[in-house]
Amino acid sequence: MDLQKIIPYKKMSLKELLVPENKLMALIAVVLTTLFLIGVAIYLVHGHHAYAVTREHPWGLLIAMYIFFVVSSTGLCIVGSFGDVFGFKDYMVVSKRAIFGSIITILSGFAVIAFEIGHPVTMMIYNVLSPGLTSAIWWMGTLYGLYLTFMIIEFIFLMRNDMARAKIFGLIGLLVGLAAHSNLGGVFGFLNARVVSNGVFYPTYFILTAFITGIYLIFIMYGYKYRGQPFPDDVAKALTNFMKIQGLLLAILMFFETWKMLTGVYGGMPERADTIIHILHTKSFWLGEVLCGMVIPFLLILKSKGTAIKQMVWASVIGMVGIFYMRYDLVHDTQLFPMQTLKIREYQLPPSFVDYFPSTAEMMIGFGAIGICMILYFIGTKLFDLDHMPEHH
Amino acid sequence: MAVEVSRRRFLQGSVAMTVIGGMSMAPSDLFSNEEEHGSQAMTTKTGTGEAKIVPTLCEMCVNKCAALARVENGVVTKLDPNPMFPKSRNMLCPRGNAGIQALYDPDRLKYPMIRVGEKGEGKFKRVSWEEAYDAILNGTDKFPGLAKILDEEKDNRSTIFFCAGEGMAEHTFKTFFNGFGSANWLNHASLCLRTVVSGYGVTLGAYPQADLENAEYIIMAGANRAEAIVTPDTMDFFKRTKGRGAKLICVDPRFTNTAAKADKWLPIKPGTDLAFVLALTYVAIMEELYDKAYVEKYFDGFTQYKNHLYSEGYTPEWAEKITGIPAKDIYEIARDFMKHAPKAVYYPGRRSTFAKNDFQLRRAMAIFQALGGGIDTKGGLVFGKKLPLKPHATVAPMYAQAEGIDVERAKGHPGYSDCAIVSGGGSWIGFRNRVLEGKGLYPIRGMFLYKHNPMMNMPNTKKTAEFLKKLDLIVTIDTMPSDTVMYADVVLPECTYLERTDPVKTFGGPEPSIAVRNKVIDPMYETKPVIEILRGLTEKISKPLFEITKKYDEDVQDDIADRGEEEVYKDFDLTIPFKHSQEELNEHAVSDYPGAAEALKEHGVYYPNMDKWFKKVSVNEHVYYPDDKKAYTVRGGKPKTPSGKVMCNLKNIAKKGVDPMPTWRKEYEYSVPEGKFRMLTGRHAQFTQSGTSNNAMLHDLINENYIWINKRVAKKMGIKFGDMIEVSSEAGSTRLKAYPTEKIAPDQVFFIHGFGEESEELTWAYRSGGNDNAVIKDDIEPVYGAAVMHSTNVEIRKV
Amino acid sequence: MARYGMALDYKNCINCKACEVACKEENGVLLGADKHRIWVGVKEIEGEYPLLNIASNTFYPSQCQHCDNAPCEEVCPTHATHYDENGVVRVDPNKCILCSYCMNACPYDARYVDDRTMTVDKCNFCSDTRLARGETTTACQATCPTKVRIFGDLDDPNSEISQVLREREHFSLKPHLGTKPKLFYLM
Ligand SMILES: Nc1nc2c(c(=O)[nH]1)N[C@H]1C(S)=C(S)[C@@H](COP(=O)(O)OP(=O)(O)OC[C@H]3O[C@@H](n4cnc5c(=O)[nH]c(N)nc54)[C@H](O)[C@@H]3O)O[C@H]1N2
Ligand SMILES: Nc1nc2c(c(=O)[nH]1)N[C@H]1C(S)=C(S)[C@@H](COP(=O)(O)OP(=O)(O)OC[C@H]3O[C@@H](n4cnc5c(=O)[nH]c(N)nc54)[C@H](O)[C@@H]3O)O[C@H]1N2
Ligand code: SF4
Ligand code: SF4
Ligand code: SF4
Ligand code: SF4
Ligand code: SF4
Ligand SMILES: [Mo]
Repeated sequence: MDLQKIIPYKKMSLKELLVPENKLMALIAVVLTTLFLIGVAIYLVHGHHAYAVTREHPWGLLIAMYIFFVVSSTGLCIVGSFGDVFGFKDYMVVSKRAIFGSIITILSGFAVIAFEIGHPVTMMIYNVLSPGLTSAIWWMGTLYGLYLTFMIIEFIFLMRNDMARAKIFGLIGLLVGLAAHSNLGGVFGFLNARVVSNGVFYPTYFILTAFITGIYLIFIMYGYKYRGQPFPDDVAKALTNFMKIQGLLLAILMFFETWKMLTGVYGGMPERADTIIHILHTKSFWLGEVLCGMVIPFLLILKSKGTAIKQMVWASVIGMVGIFYMRYDLVHDTQLFPMQTLKIREYQLPPSFVDYFPSTAEMMIGFGAIGICMILYFIGTKLFDLDHMPEHH
Repeated sequence: MAVEVSRRRFLQGSVAMTVIGGMSMAPSDLFSNEEEHGSQAMTTKTGTGEAKIVPTLCEMCVNKCAALARVENGVVTKLDPNPMFPKSRNMLCPRGNAGIQALYDPDRLKYPMIRVGEKGEGKFKRVSWEEAYDAILNGTDKFPGLAKILDEEKDNRSTIFFCAGEGMAEHTFKTFFNGFGSANWLNHASLCLRTVVSGYGVTLGAYPQADLENAEYIIMAGANRAEAIVTPDTMDFFKRTKGRGAKLICVDPRFTNTAAKADKWLPIKPGTDLAFVLALTYVAIMEELYDKAYVEKYFDGFTQYKNHLYSEGYTPEWAEKITGIPAKDIYEIARDFMKHAPKAVYYPGRRSTFAKNDFQLRRAMAIFQALGGGIDTKGGLVFGKKLPLKPHATVAPMYAQAEGIDVERAKGHPGYSDCAIVSGGGSWIGFRNRVLEGKGLYPIRGMFLYKHNPMMNMPNTKKTAEFLKKLDLIVTIDTMPSDTVMYADVVLPECTYLERTDPVKTFGGPEPSIAVRNKVIDPMYETKPVIEILRGLTEKISKPLFEITKKYDEDVQDDIADRGEEEVYKDFDLTIPFKHSQEELNEHAVSDYPGAAEALKEHGVYYPNMDKWFKKVSVNEHVYYPDDKKAYTVRGGKPKTPSGKVMCNLKNIAKKGVDPMPTWRKEYEYSVPEGKFRMLTGRHAQFTQSGTSNNAMLHDLINENYIWINKRVAKKMGIKFGDMIEVSSEAGSTRLKAYPTEKIAPDQVFFIHGFGEESEELTWAYRSGGNDNAVIKDDIEPVYGAAVMHSTNVEIRKV
Repeated sequence: MARYGMALDYKNCINCKACEVACKEENGVLLGADKHRIWVGVKEIEGEYPLLNIASNTFYPSQCQHCDNAPCEEVCPTHATHYDENGVVRVDPNKCILCSYCMNACPYDARYVDDRTMTVDKCNFCSDTRLARGETTTACQATCPTKVRIFGDLDDPNSEISQVLREREHFSLKPHLGTKPKLFYLM
C-alpha cells in the first residue's frame, strides 16, 4: 500500500527528517520528551504512588495537562474551521496548520491521560461492554476518540486538497469536538458535591477559553515559523483578524470571570463563597490566570488596536502560561474545599483547604508531554506542506 | 478460600516512614524471623469458606473481654466480640480488634535468647530452651546463675525478686514465686490501683463495682471511661449520658472524651480532689441531706467525722480556693447527688495515686458515697457475687534462710521508710530506690519478670535503667523486645494470648460468670505459654536449688534427718504446680459446675442457667440474667469491713502516722512555679500503656503521642501544631510534638502514657513520641508507697 | 431483596475507633493514614479553657452513605460502581479504571484507592465478607462498645432499623445534595 496515496507527504530521508531547524528548540523538545519518558518509567515502577494525588485531591497535574492539551486541540480545531469549514477566505491560510496542531495536541493529551488513568486497557474494554451513559467522562472520552478520528480524516483530505470532503469531516469533527469539549466542562459541572465547579459555567467557559487558546497557539506557531522575518501578507491578514477576535474573546472572558467571582462571593453559598475568597487570595489566580492569561495580551491588543501581531506572538506565549494556570487552577479549585471537614485522627489539625503540589513524576509526564507535542510538530512541519492552500475549491 | 494479604503502606499522615530498623544487624537479627525478614504488618481479609471459630479472651488490656477468633487455613483472620459474656457485653474495643497484629507482629520474640553484649545493649544470642534454662541456673561468662547467687547469699531466696504485670497467667507465675520462696513480689498495683483498692477496702471492706447501668447521677472524677476503657462500665454508661437517663459530672483537669459526654465538666486543679470531696461531704452532712437510716445502721465514727469536717471548716467556699471549682457548683452537686441517692455514684476510678493524698481521697469518696446509702444496691456501688473455683495443688515451702519482709516492714525501719503499709504488690518505686541507694536489708541480685515493663511503667526511667543494670541476673518472660527486655540476661519468649489456654477465671459482679481463654492456634516459632516455660524451668532448677537449701537451711537438715530426703523434697518440689496441662487444671477448677467445662470449650463462658437466661433481644442487646436474678444486693447494704460498718475513723492507722480521717493538709495545695507546667498523664482508647506500643494497626490510628499545651500559651511561646518540644524535669527529658488545644489549662501539659520506647527492635514503637516516665519524678505516696504520677512540674522548650 | 441501611445512635459514640479497626481486619483494608472505609469525625472544641462548649465536641461516626441516588455511580464511566441487589453501592474492581471521578463526585469523602488492586474501594456493608457468609451484622456494628450502630433492611417494616427510624427523629448528612443517604443519624 502506498502511504503517499492516502496522505501526500514530502519524501525525505530519516536523517533529513530529524535534523532540527532550530537547535535550541530541538534541545528543549528532546529534554522534555526525555523527562516524559523518565516520568513514565517512574510511573511504571511505582504505579500511582509516584503521584502526589490523595484521597482528598484525587486529580492532579496530569488531569490539568490533559485538559490543557485537549482545550488546545479544540481551540485549534475552531480556529482551523474558520477557513476550511466555514469558508472564510481570510482564514484559509491557517487551516492546515491549525488542524494539524489540533491532532498533535490531542495526541499529547492522550499520552498524558494514558498514564493518569490507572487501567487504560480496562477502560477500552468496559467503556464498550458496560458504558456508563450518565458519566460525563464516558461521553468526553468517547467523543474525543471520535473527534480525533474525524480530525485525522479531515487532515488527510486537506492534504489531498479535497476541500469538499475536508469540509464535511471538518464540520463533523468540529461538532463532535465541541460536544466532547463541553462534556469535559460537564465533568466538572456535574459535580454537585463541588459547589465551585457545579453548574453550567464550565461547559461554556471551556468553549470560550478553547477559542482563546487556539488563537494564542496560532500566533505561537506562526511566530515561530516566521521568526526573524516578516509575516507574509495573507498570514498577517489572518493574524490581524484573529488578534481582534482575541480582544473580543478576552473581554468576554474577563466579564465571565468577574461574574463568576462576584456571584461566588456574594451568592451566599457558604462552601462556594469560602472557596472563591480563598481563590481570590492566591497568586496563581491573579498572576497566572488574570495577568498572564488575560490582561497582558488584552492590553497589547487594546494598545495596538489589534495590529501588533509580532508582539502578539510573545503575548501569546505569556497567554499560554496563563492558560496553563487556568487549567491547573480549575482542577485544583474544584477540589479545594474538603469533603471531610472534621478531624478524624487524634493528632491532626482540622481539615482546611486541601493542599496539592505535583510530584516530580507528575511534572515530568505533564510538562514532558509538551516535548512530545513539539517533536510531533517539527516532524509534521517537515513532512507536510502546511501552508499552501489550493486557489479554488 | 483465598487469604488476601495486604501490606502496610508506610504513609502516616503525609509523612512517609521508612522501615529499616536494626533488623539487618547480626545479633539482633534474632528478633526477626529469617523468612519474614523486614516483613511488614498486614491485614487479612476474611473469607467465605470454611473457618474455625474459637472462643477466647482478649488480653490486649486488663479487662479480659470475650472474643471469638476466626481461623482460616491456620491463620487468625478476625477477632469478633463474643456476645455471651456479661462482662464485655458483646464488644471488642480497637485494641481488642487489633490483637491479630500482636499475634503476627514481625518484631515478636521468637526464640529463647541469652545476653552476649553489655547489659542493656540489647545484644543476644539465640539458644535452645534447654540452654536458656541452663543459663538461668548456671549462668554464662557474662552473668551468674541462680546456683551461684543463692550459694553466695546462703540460700536467701529473697535476693531474687519477682514482678508481674496484670494478666490471666499472672497467677501461674505467682505460683512459681510462692514455690521459689522469695519475699519480694512486685506487681502493677503500686503503679496503678493500690490506693483506690485499699482506700475503699479499709473503708467499705471491698473495692466495689459501680452499677452504671442503673445509676442516675454519676460523678466521674479522675477516671476517663470513654478513653480508659473498663468493661462493662464503658459500655453501660455512654448509652445513657447526654440526657438519656444518667447525669454525668466529669471532674478532670483535662477536657477528655468523657467530659464531652458530661452534663457538667469541672476542670479541677490537679491533686485537689480531696478538698472537693470533703466539701461535698460537708454540704451533705451539714444540710442533713444524707440517708439517715443508713448512716445510723452502718456508719462507724460518723459524729467524729462530722465534727472533724465542721472544725476544719471544709466548706465549699474553702474548697473553691483550693480546687478552682466554684462553691455554688459544689453545693449543687452535693444536693443533686443526695437527691438521686442511692442511685447515685461517686465513681471509684481505677488508676489512682495522682497525688500524695490519694489514699485519703479514696476514703473520703467511699464515705461520701455511703452517706447516700448507695452501697450494695442497684444503681449504686455493688459488691456483687462471684462463682467460686476449685483451687489446685501448689507448693509453698518454708525456707529458713529466706529473709522475710513482714517483720521488717514497720515504718521507720532502716530499709523501709518509704511508706506506712506495704501491701501484697509491694511498692515498686520504694523497692527500686532502696536497692539503688543500697538501703536494702540484704542484697537484691536477681529478677524474674513476667509481662511487665518497668522501663516504661514507672516514674524516673533513668533510675530504673540504673537499677536494672545493677542486677546480676534478669530473666524476662515477655512477648515483645520491650525496653525492659533489652536489659535481660535471659529472654524467654512467651506465646501471645491467642496461642495459649490460660487459667480459667471467675468474674464477680451483679451478673457473675466464669470465662476462659482457649488456645486459638498453636504457638508460633519457638514460643511457649508461661506454664510450659515454668514446667521446663522448674524441672531444671528444682533439684539443684534444693541442694543449696540443704546446705544452708538447718530446718531442712533437721527435717531430712526426721523424715528422709525424699519426703522433705516433696515440699520443695517446684515442678508440682506445673505438672498438669492448663486444660486439665481448668477442668478441675470448674468441676463443681456440671456442664461448665463443656460450655467453656464451646462458648468460652459459663454461668449457671446460661442456656436458659442468655438471650439476644435486639441486633445489639443481649440479656444475661433476668433482672430479678442480678446480684445488685448481696448483703442488704452492709459494708464488707470486719465491723460491718463504714469506717470513718481508722484509729489503728493513726499509729503508723496516717490521718485516721480524711484530712486536707496545706502541703497538698496545687502550685506551679511561673514558667513551668504541671505534667499529667493518662490513657487513650487506642493504646494500652506500653503493651500495644508496637501494634501496627493502632499505630496507624495514632502514630505518636503529642503533648497537649494550652493554645494561648503555645501561641505566646511561638509553638505551632507539630513543633518538636523538649519536656524536662529534674528526672530527665523527652521529646515529642506539640498539640496546642484549649482542652488543657494554661499551666498544665499532658501526653498519653506508653509511647517513646527506646528498644530498636520495635519497628513501630522505637522513638515514636515521648516517654512520660522519663520526666515524671519518683514521688512516693506515703501510705502504700504507690507512685505519685501527677506531682511533677516540667519545663517545655521548642527544639 | 433487601435494601440495607444503617442507623447511628451517634450520641453513644466515644470515638474509640473500634469500628475502624474491625472494618480493616474484617475486610483486609490496607493500613495507611488515608486508607479507611469508616471514620469518626470530631469538631475541635469551641471556647477557651476553662469555658469550653461541651456540646460543640460531638463525635460523628461515618462511612459510605450508600446513597440511593449516588453521585459516584452516576459518574462512573464503566459501571464499576453500581448498586447491587441489596441497594448497596459497590465497586467492581475488575471494571474500575481508576479515573478517580467517583472520588471527586462523592460528597462524603467515602472513597479511597486500594493500593493492591489500584482501584477505588470503600465501605460495602461487608457485602463480600460477612453478608456473603450469611451473617446479618457488619463488622463495625458488631464490635462497637456503646452500640452506636443498627444495620438492617429498610424495606422490611419489621426490621429493627425500620422501627427505630419510625420511632425516633433522625437526620442525614448534606441532604440538600439529593443523594438520599442510607446512613441515618438518630437524634
Ligand atoms: N507515667 C505513667 N506510668 C504508668 C501509668 C500511667 O498512666 N502513666 N499507668 C500505670 C498503670 S495503671 C499500669 S496498670 C502499669 C502497667 O504497666 P505494665 O504492667 O508494665 O504493663 P504494660 O506497660 O502494658 O507492659 C506490658 C508488658 O507485657 C508484655 N506482654 C504483653 N502481652 C504479653 C503476654 O501475653 N505474655 C507476656 N509474657 N508478656 C506480654 C508487653 O510486651 C509489655 O512488655 O503502668 C503504670 N505506669
Ligand atoms: N484504652 C485503654 N483502656 C484502659 C487502659 C489502657 O491502657 N488503654 N488501661 C487500663 C488500666 S491498667 C487502668 S489502671 C485504667 C485507668 O483508667 P483511668 O484511671 O480512668 O484512666 P487515666 O487516663 O489513667 O486517668 C484518668 C484521668 O485522670 C485525670 N486526672 C489527672 N490528674 C487528676 C486529678 O488530680 N484529679 C482529677 N479529678 N483527675 C485527674 C487525667 O486527666 C485522666 O483523664 O484503664 C484501663 N483501661
Ligand atoms: S477492653 Fe479492649 S483491649 Fe481490653 S480486654 Fe476488652 S477488648 Fe481487649
Ligand atoms: S466503635 Fe462505636 S463508639 Fe467506637 S468509634 Fe466506632 S461508632 Fe464510635
Ligand atoms: S457516600 Fe459517596 S461513595 Fe457512598 S454511595 Fe454516596 S456518593 Fe457513593
Ligand atoms: S475510579 Fe473506578 S469506580 Fe471510580 S468512577 Fe472511575 S472507574 Fe468508576
Ligand atoms: S459496614 Fe463493613 S465495610 Fe462498611 S464500614 Fe462497616 S465494617 Fe467496614
Ligand atoms: Mo492499671
